[in-house]
Amino acid sequence: MIQLTRVSVGYSGELLHAEKLELEAGKVYALVGRNGIGKSTFIQTISGIQKQLAGEITMNGQLISEYNPREIAEFISLVDTRFEGVEYLKVKDYLALGRAPFTDAFGRMDSNDWRIVEEVASDLSIQHLLEKNTDQISDGERQLCSVGRAFVQETPVILLDEPTAFLDYINRKKLLELLVRLSREKKKCIVLSTHDLDLCLDQKVPFLLAAHGTVSLHETLSKETIIEAMS
Amino acid sequence: MKDWTLKWMFICLLCFLPLAMYLHLISGQIELSFASYLDSILNFDSKNTSQVLVREFRVPRLLMAMMAGAGLSLSGMFMQTLFKNPLAGPYVLGINSGASLLIALSLMTGVHFFQSNFGLIGAFAAGLLMMLIAQRLKSQITLLLVGLMFGSFTSAIVSILESFAGAESLKSYTMWSMGSLQQVEFGQLGIILVIFALGIVASFLLVKPLNMLVIGEKSAALLGLPIKATRMFVLLLTALFAGLITAFCGPIAFVGIAIPNLSRILFQTTNHRYLIIGNILIGAIFLLLTDAFIQVLEGHISIPLNALTSIIGAPFVVFLLIRKLR
Repeated sequence: MIQLTRVSVGYSGELLHAEKLELEAGKVYALVGRNGIGKSTFIQTISGIQKQLAGEITMNGQLISEYNPREIAEFISLVDTRFEGVEYLKVKDYLALGRAPFTDAFGRMDSNDWRIVEEVASDLSIQHLLEKNTDQISDGERQLCSVGRAFVQETPVILLDEPTAFLDYINRKKLLELLVRLSREKKKCIVLSTHDLDLCLDQKVPFLLAAHGTVSLHETLSKETIIEAMS
Repeated sequence: MKDWTLKWMFICLLCFLPLAMYLHLISGQIELSFASYLDSILNFDSKNTSQVLVREFRVPRLLMAMMAGAGLSLSGMFMQTLFKNPLAGPYVLGINSGASLLIALSLMTGVHFFQSNFGLIGAFAAGLLMMLIAQRLKSQITLLLVGLMFGSFTSAIVSILESFAGAESLKSYTMWSMGSLQQVEFGQLGIILVIFALGIVASFLLVKPLNMLVIGEKSAALLGLPIKATRMFVLLLTALFAGLITAFCGPIAFVGIAIPNLSRILFQTTNHRYLIIGNILIGAIFLLLTDAFIQVLEGHISIPLNALTSIIGAPFVVFLLIRKLR
């Protein structure tokens, strides 16, 4: 679904390099690596908002730079770690913004759009938050809402930058299980950066290991190998 | 806030607007009959003083009050949404500075081309400059700072011009900078109305982009919004409204910063479909009432509009903020 060939990721200098990676539909990839190694930059580069320094990224066989912003938005959604909430912006309307690539020029939502919002809210168990303002809920709740907005976008590729950072243990576990289920049922390609090694090992997801300036794909990895590779 | 509460608030505001217009019309120093209003439109007689008064003073001033109130509030809202900052207003881009500079130049160097035209050119030149700079900048906060620097720079030049100016031109400039709604002549109204109406239509085309900008430029870009084009469009509209009004009425403080905040607090929404309507209505009503007050006092003292807007408005907004934060 997404292919990276000799891609260099970074701002002025190279942070990470991916020789050859193929990310498939129906799988959840856990991007692990130490703080500051360039996981966020890597994710943003795949999303198309950050240009790679070198190499080619293709989406369904076509270079990502050849898509316009709207086409990318129909294909890739990204959950940013830092949504701080906006005064008077309701959770419901925040989730609804995920439909923006599909609504008309005035952003009008039809009943199908609202049905998707309702479904996502129930998947993530955040129905009770829908009428609340995004600046008046907890960090963890807001994080679930961010994930929800990406789900509402209904893209085949979902990128999540540390979606579990503010979540309690139960919610982390539930979110990861939901991501795995979603990837299988709806054939989505999901990449999340995370520090929750144990949960990812429990779910037996493939790892994207970012260490020593390179990103490599491993179908199975033991905790010891990961820790050894990182240090 | 429920949808029907919003609708009721709009209906109330819509009913209040004609009342404010009526109050503004009857607050003038000379009493005019309803018949002279009607006649000045239907069968205008240029020898009838009351009809001339209606045409040359009352109606232009009424319409300018409404357009200035609505236009400044709208452009303030644009800037607050674009910069995600409630302190932003129509003048953060230096549009008033551009107008001030050229008007000061025209008055103090004695090149008496049409005063308001000079202001218009200055305002649009400033707006254009900012748009060019915005194209090259990645971050919005830098743009805000550039606008601020531009303002300081031009006001310094104006100060230098002032120190060389004679008493007469200094007075004219000071009068302009106090803000006034009675500078517009009947003949100019048509073109102002057309530009203003086009601006309103364009504003409604921006509803979706503005609603997306609420969650930040980066997130909006990820949802497929072409950021640079949107930024240009928003800046252009702001320059259009603020430039038009500043050129004809002088700088009017407060309205552009306060009314958008007031609208947000009142309607408790980030949906710009409602915020645009709210800002137009509240902005127009606010300036109508303020100017009506000025007209009532005109026989005794003349208070500059620029001062009165803040004197009436600032305590009111502080009151609202305190209530909200409590």
